[in-house]
Amino acid sequence: MKELLKELCLINGVSGDESAVREFIIDKVKDCCEYRVDPLGSLICFRRGRKSSEKKLMICAHMDEVGFIVTYINADGTLCFDEVGGVNTTVAIGRQVKVGKNGISGVVGSTAVHNLTKEQKEKAPEYDGMYIDIGAHDREEAMQYVSLGDCVYFDSEFTEFGVNIKSKAIDDRVGCAMMIRLIQEQPEYDTYFVFNVQEEIGLRGSGASAFSVAPDFAIVLEATTAADIDGVGGAKRVCCLGDGPVISFMDRRTIYDKELYALAMDTAKELSLCCQTKTKIAGGNDAGAIHISGSGVRTIAVSLPCRYLHSASCVIAERDLEPSYQLVKRLAERICEL
Amino acid sequence: MELKEVLFSLAEAYGASGSESPAAELACGLLREYCPDARIVSGNVIGTFGTKREGLPHLVLDAHIDQIGFVVTSITDEGFVKFEQLGGIDRRLIAAQPVIIHGKRDISGVICSVPPHLSGGNEVVKYDDTAIDTGMTHDELAEIVSAGDSVTFDVKCRSLLGERVTGGALDDRSGVAAILYALELIQGRELAYNVTVIFSCQEEVGERGAKIGAYQLDPDIAIAVDVSFALAMGEDERKCGKLGEGAMMGVSPSLSREVTDALISAAKSADIPYQLEVMNSGTGTDADRYSVNRSGCKACTVSIPLRNMHTPVEVIDLDDVRSTAELLAAYITEG
Repeated sequence: MKELLKELCLINGVSGDESAVREFIIDKVKDCCEYRVDPLGSLICFRRGRKSSEKKLMICAHMDEVGFIVTYINADGTLCFDEVGGVNTTVAIGRQVKVGKNGISGVVGSTAVHNLTKEQKEKAPEYDGMYIDIGAHDREEAMQYVSLGDCVYFDSEFTEFGVNIKSKAIDDRVGCAMMIRLIQEQPEYDTYFVFNVQEEIGLRGSGASAFSVAPDFAIVLEATTAADIDGVGGAKRVCCLGDGPVISFMDRRTIYDKELYALAMDTAKELSLCCQTKTKIAGGNDAGAIHISGSGVRTIAVSLPCRYLHSASCVIAERDLEPSYQLVKRLAERICEL
Repeated sequence: MELKEVLFSLAEAYGASGSESPAAELACGLLREYCPDARIVSGNVIGTFGTKREGLPHLVLDAHIDQIGFVVTSITDEGFVKFEQLGGIDRRLIAAQPVIIHGKRDISGVICSVPPHLSGGNEVVKYDDTAIDTGMTHDELAEIVSAGDSVTFDVKCRSLLGERVTGGALDDRSGVAAILYALELIQGRELAYNVTVIFSCQEEVGERGAKIGAYQLDPDIAIAVDVSFALAMGEDERKCGKLGEGAMMGVSPSLSREVTDALISAAKSADIPYQLEVMNSGTGTDADRYSVNRSGCKACTVSIPLRNMHTPVEVIDLDDVRSTAELLAAYITEG
């Protein structure tokens, strides 16, 4: 699954421009499921299981990643840009990026530290105070390579270090990777697998796809904020790398179905897997749109703990991958048997 | 000499201040092509160009070999690596940056950061509040990493459009590359100086390598080939050079106006583009050490314009490195 995750993470797919990710996924699953692409671009797959169930189950993850968009081309050939999804300026400044479909190399520049006032040095920059430099001499040259509205991606490598993995877009290609494997290995019961668009700009794709699938139950696969870093203690850590999949009872967008929460916890116990819950009410995911779609969907989320979310350096522990997958697989069966 | 290739190899070699060995050894090997006696002396790479001729003034060409970075201060019980800066780092951009810790072997890590999902995320990191995530335990780390080990940004050079390039240690490997290129240009030509080259260490922490290098070499004239601010959004046009418009020659009370004028005249007669960089006292470069060396020395700066100084995304124009080399060559041959 690590190799699959690597391939998925290195594909560029900022919100609204997920087609390359979708094509990759279609190629992986087309031989073993029925699929269609909905009007917003989400990929809806129906995988026949070994058995049928009266309950309609949907498992989903989002294909899009955070990034940037070109908003203006300056006279000096540099590009103004804004965030797509929530990207702190402190993880945008000083990075290499790729611009547009042709992947033009650029960097995010700003005033040199030597020329900042004492106050400016201690203050996060604004997007208005940064620019992307692709090496163009002037606007005319830049316009030969870049158009307004072009997406901008982090230019970052997939690296294994210690027991961890670092890459851009782990949020939520890790969910996509688990779903591809679930489809390929055939689930126990018939299942809808939905690869959503536009999660990062406000859970937009999942509301539409959940409406058309109209499931009874949903499992959302995600990567969630782990703050188990030096200097952060206790509940502020939210969740910890290496402690297994995260099953949330609540985040900022959803109060999860209590029976499913208990079922997920019990499933982890049944499989003797480590699992954890979030110790802070933080973040939100497609569950927020799904659980209130149509006349309501009973929803649970299973997430991988991930440090430095929404940067070019998302970090997960490799040892959380397999138990998360096993938990989701078994949980899906138990939901269909409810 | 394939300039871009040489520059990329230099800029991707590691050499934070005080731990310059990998970069210095690479530069020493490259310098030996032109200066067979090139060697590393107390951290500085030093080589003599050609045969010494009586009566000619002694010219030292200097570029610094070190780069900004970090230094390991301790390892926490949980296996995070605490660190502080080497040289003037822009702390606004260190969050979530990939780095390499140069321990007994190089290991990868990421500087810890807090995401936007948690309040207080978009803040400038302070060294006391951050650490490097290595994915290793304290005991595993203790075998490889020690306090005092250096850390550099994990970044590769990239070509931008045209002749522009980006990388992490273009300050001042661009200067090193410019000097090497100048030596290639003057090979076999009549020179007006006895030329010694030094790639000095520890510039970023206060020109310390140049201090002892100047004493050892005792030059009559010294030119510090470094980088300086190129105009970009957020910079003051009145205080910057421009990318692609040639080397920036220093004009300052602390520099020798005679050398500046000779450089200008060499540029003019060879039709080499140049810009002036006027400073009101010290230059913040190795030139400050040469000028007051022993009983004094005529010093000047020649700087390659560079954007985003002291970041992993420094940007230069290769044409500026070429014209800097041509300028040095013209100056050395014309006198």
